[in-house]
Amino acid sequence: MRIGIFICHCGHNIKSTVDIDKIKEFFTGSINITSVLDYPFLCSEPGQALIKNSIKNDKLERVVIAACTKSLHQDMFKSLVRNAGLNPFLLRRIGIREHCSWVGDDIEKNTVKAIKLIKAGIYSLAHYESLEEKLVEVNKSVLILGGGISGMSAAIFLARSGMEVYIAEKENELGGHLRHIKEIWPVRKQGREIIDKMKMTLKELKNVNIFTSSRLISFCGSFGNYQATLETPEGEKKITIGGLIVAIGFSPFDPSTKPELQYGIDKRIITTLDFENNMNISFKEGDRVAILHCIGSRDDSIGKTYCSRVCCINAIKTANYIKSQNKNTYVESFYMDVRSHPRGGEEFYEDTQEKGVFFTRANISEIIPEKTGVILRGEDTLLGMPFEREFDLVILSIGLSYPEDGHEIANLLKITLDKDGFFLEAHPKLRPYDTALKGIFIAGSCSGPKDMEESINHGRASAVKLYGLLNLGYTFVEPFIANVDTKRCSGCRVCEQVCVAKAINFDGNLHIVRVEEAACMGCGLCNATCPSSAISLKGYFDSFITDEISGLLEIA
Amino acid sequence: MSDKKEREPEIVGFACSYCSFKASEMAGSLRMKYPENVRVIQVPCSSRVDPAFVIKAIFEGADGVFVSSCHPGDCHFIRGNYYTRRKMAALKEMFKAFSMDGKVKLFWISAAEARKFIEKITNMYNELREEKNAGKKN
Repeated sequence: MRIGIFICHCGHNIKSTVDIDKIKEFFTGSINITSVLDYPFLCSEPGQALIKNSIKNDKLERVVIAACTKSLHQDMFKSLVRNAGLNPFLLRRIGIREHCSWVGDDIEKNTVKAIKLIKAGIYSLAHYESLEEKLVEVNKSVLILGGGISGMSAAIFLARSGMEVYIAEKENELGGHLRHIKEIWPVRKQGREIIDKMKMTLKELKNVNIFTSSRLISFCGSFGNYQATLETPEGEKKITIGGLIVAIGFSPFDPSTKPELQYGIDKRIITTLDFENNMNISFKEGDRVAILHCIGSRDDSIGKTYCSRVCCINAIKTANYIKSQNKNTYVESFYMDVRSHPRGGEEFYEDTQEKGVFFTRANISEIIPEKTGVILRGEDTLLGMPFEREFDLVILSIGLSYPEDGHEIANLLKITLDKDGFFLEAHPKLRPYDTALKGIFIAGSCSGPKDMEESINHGRASAVKLYGLLNLGYTFVEPFIANVDTKRCSGCRVCEQVCVAKAINFDGNLHIVRVEEAACMGCGLCNATCPSSAISLKGYFDSFITDEISGLLEIA
Repeated sequence: MSDKKEREPEIVGFACSYCSFKASEMAGSLRMKYPENVRVIQVPCSSRVDPAFVIKAIFEGADGVFVSSCHPGDCHFIRGNYYTRRKMAALKEMFKAFSMDGKVKLFWISAAEARKFIEKITNMYNELREEKNAGKKN
């Protein structure tokens, strides 16, 4: 057999903690190993060319790619192998990055682990056989979870492109958090105005189905043919969809989890969101207002180390608004760093300073409500001096927290969350809209704090990507289905009983079982159950796994 | 015998593609650390794990074997992990006769639980290491 091993450095990601030369040395010249090559980035064009040329020139029969994990770049490597004239199922991916170089620090131990992983892969690969992928049609319909600004933007694009769109919103109305925003910086429009406009557009489109007060309760299937069940006020609704966009947004940070802020105890302490909801507060001359930045962001004590991005501009907007209501008020903003990042934000910050808003770099340690006012106690971090000041109103500029039902949705869809509880993208730079599952995309601030513009962009981008996948009209299904060896089958029918998909039928004439290929889900339960080893799952034969075990445990 | 060097246990794990293997990938991309001697084999569903694989791994020198699947009720293949639970319970019962039931473990780890994955395997590793070096304490 002619096996080619390709090892990726992934820049420094693999190279810095795994001794690649040692791996090469170990495998070079071994029996059946034709070539061992390494390259800084196998996913780059020259890297791909290297693999392709090697397959052609060395007449490789099996290919091992030791690089990132299997769920990344799999389609690309598969088509690469196919284009080089080899069956893509004769390719074995070994995740020496996620399963080796990133999880261990010791170079020597990591190198041994990488060698064992590759060896096990080769042992398993030796048994691989050519398989053909099955072509199936996809449903040109999409479910969007969450009817916020991001979900609605995605829905409008998809509906206009001719897809059947379903929107499931847990509230009784579309619009999300934007409904409550009274003034959007810098367009000076009401959130409701924008939402109503989008709602009108959606109403005019015939292929949009909106379910409000609804939630997803079950989800299964594969790309192109996902089955989802929604719990709606009219009862359960089952739909078949091609793809799905998660746009469930965020939950505003609840300041009452930090008792020292006294939020909810004293009426004079409110959040920026409360302020938006009661924009009719009038300010008298001499009113003293404090605005506290970074509440629920960049705070290790509550496990939220990230910056929420939108709250600085929110705080500045609030300060600016108060000053424009009554310029004889005293407004002081206590910040850690001012990150007024969107375009025009810096100018807006300067303009607000010019209007007479004081910005003090400070750590507020205590808020003490008194009869005459609310006392703030803290430290001026530029002067290094403690201070104590009294205010009439304290506004907390709250950050964005992970969505409340994020964990539930992640479990239903089997997608991953990051350490902060937001949805994790497949790749932070190259695939920021995709999840690891094909046809499931994320949009808006459920994947991390985003402002309105970014949420709309994110929603539309996800919609375009999903449209691209669905518009093709077909997809390939992995041919991992069970297969019966009729000579060994004794007709005991144990597999028939355990099969969850009901894909196994008994043939009374020959006294054997048969697998209905279209129904088989490919779990391999029958394979593990069969007492005569007569039924086996393609792609995961017993020999693949037992030899992989041997490879992993063989002394290197 | 003056071999003072601590012996390290070898652990082989079976992780289902839809949940636990995803969790292991996520643990990698979050740069969480776990012992190098833990190595994971991907299976489509935890129910693909024949008890024979577990026995085979222990025969070949593994000190511990874990099977990791989706949470009960969350299986991509609907009921696969219930079968795994029964198989593993039966296997454990068998291993108990040889006081080896600590070597086999079943975990429920969803795709979002990278931290739990690390905790579980690190705990298992530490337990087995203690066992393996029990005679060296004095």
